[in-house]
Amino acid sequence: MIDDKRSLSGLTETEARQFHKIFMTSFFVFTLIAVVAHILVWQWRPWL
Amino acid sequence: MWRIWMLFDPRRALVALFVFLFVLALVIHFILLSTDRFNWLKGPHPAAAAAQTSSLPATVASNSK
Repeated sequence: MIDDKRSLSGLTETEARQFHKIFMTSFFVFTLIAVVAHILVWQWRPWL
Repeated sequence: MWRIWMLFDPRRALVALFVFLFVLALVIHFILLSTDRFNWLKGPHPAAAAAQTSSLPATVASNSK
């Protein structure tokens, strides 16, 4: 079975895909919060 | 892109990423706190604020008080 083939990190292809999905979702949530925070700080005191 | 997790161990990558982001955030926050304009706790220093708002140089502005 292809899925049992272990990679350099020890993850299978399915595991890598699953982890990537969670990772990207978390990344977008983090980015969204950061963008909102920057907009609020820009309204408070623009830096350029 | 997901193939990156076949190369890098997610556990180590996450720990490294979190440590990096935390240190970066800490550095940026302390830099901002050290400035007059972006210190959200103490606000602008009186002399610096006077120098910023006045068209006169800071020494002249403070002498005229």
